[in-house]
Amino acid sequence: MTSPGRSQEPHRLEPEEFFEEVHSFEFWFQAVTGYLTGRPYGHRPETAAPAADPRERERLLTVLSSYCVGETAALEGASGLVAIAPNRQAKIFLSTQAVDEGRHLEVLLHRMRELGCARPEEEVERRASQTLFTFKRRLLDLVASRDWEAAIFAQNVILEAMEFVVFQTHARQADPVTREVLEGIVRDERRHIGFGENELGRRLREAPHARARLAQVRRELDPLVLASFEETLAEVGTPRAERPELGRNYLAAVARLGFT
Amino acid sequence: MSADPLETAGTAEAEDARPRQRFVLDDTGFDEVPPKYRRFYRKWRGADDSLALNEVICPVCSVVIRSTRELRPGDRVYCMPCMSRLVVVRVESGRLEAHVTY
Repeated sequence: MTSPGRSQEPHRLEPEEFFEEVHSFEFWFQAVTGYLTGRPYGHRPETAAPAADPRERERLLTVLSSYCVGETAALEGASGLVAIAPNRQAKIFLSTQAVDEGRHLEVLLHRMRELGCARPEEEVERRASQTLFTFKRRLLDLVASRDWEAAIFAQNVILEAMEFVVFQTHARQADPVTREVLEGIVRDERRHIGFGENELGRRLREAPHARARLAQVRRELDPLVLASFEETLAEVGTPRAERPELGRNYLAAVARLGFT
Repeated sequence: MSADPLETAGTAEAEDARPRQRFVLDDTGFDEVPPKYRRFYRKWRGADDSLALNEVICPVCSVVIRSTRELRPGDRVYCMPCMSRLVVVRVESGRLEAHVTY
């Protein structure tokens, strides 16, 4: 037998060792160091974007404003969830997620400043998708009511899955600076969606009665997320024909959890 | 650790008694996990990409998971980038897939 320490093959870890490892602050720190070092505010200093035409710039500012609302929702949500997380591993993981979300908000606001927006937070209030504001209020209600399963479902499955798809799609079409910023965020989102799906999968296995309640949450929040998904992809310029395909990731995740 | 799960994956061994191929993993530039784990993952490069015998795709985050050994049905693999525990299964088409185990 080869010890995992010597072989370093992660697949040889026992499940308990694996979860202890990936939920640790040390794992998070070494992971983000790999792709954030040398990228102040999410992009390499030498990366330059050509000046956008005024109409494109306006569309980008509107999209970034909506992203800021989603990231603020996740920042406040993850921070609040630390207090009600059921175990140490989940608390430590959520503390790293809160840091990720704070960074995302900061780099997005910084990108808006780079685009010439003097008061980005005022622009966020003015431009962002109203359905996302509604989603944020509902998410924070779930956190305040200490409903762990519903809040994790809303935040780490519904919201994060949507952001994962939208940011990946937008990055492919974006200017070089925005692309680097979004690609850095997507790397973080992998951990967030994985934590949400796996945590909920385990909880639903142990408490299947929670499924009906989560199905109700999904019925309430899905339309909000899908509406903002449509709005954002339209602003980004994704052809309508490609949008159902993009929603497949989210639908696959909820299907794996048994929601059809 | 009680046993090597890759050595004791009974289902896989029963399906095929051939010795498993071994693979030397190189670093593909994947930087989303700590350095010691990086060679066990790579990015999926799209329609022109293909999977080797020691690789499966994570259904949660679409990263390619790699092992030092040929993968077979019943094997356990982990996706560290999204923290998922998975089991390798052979689907109807004959292809190997990774399914999430909660």
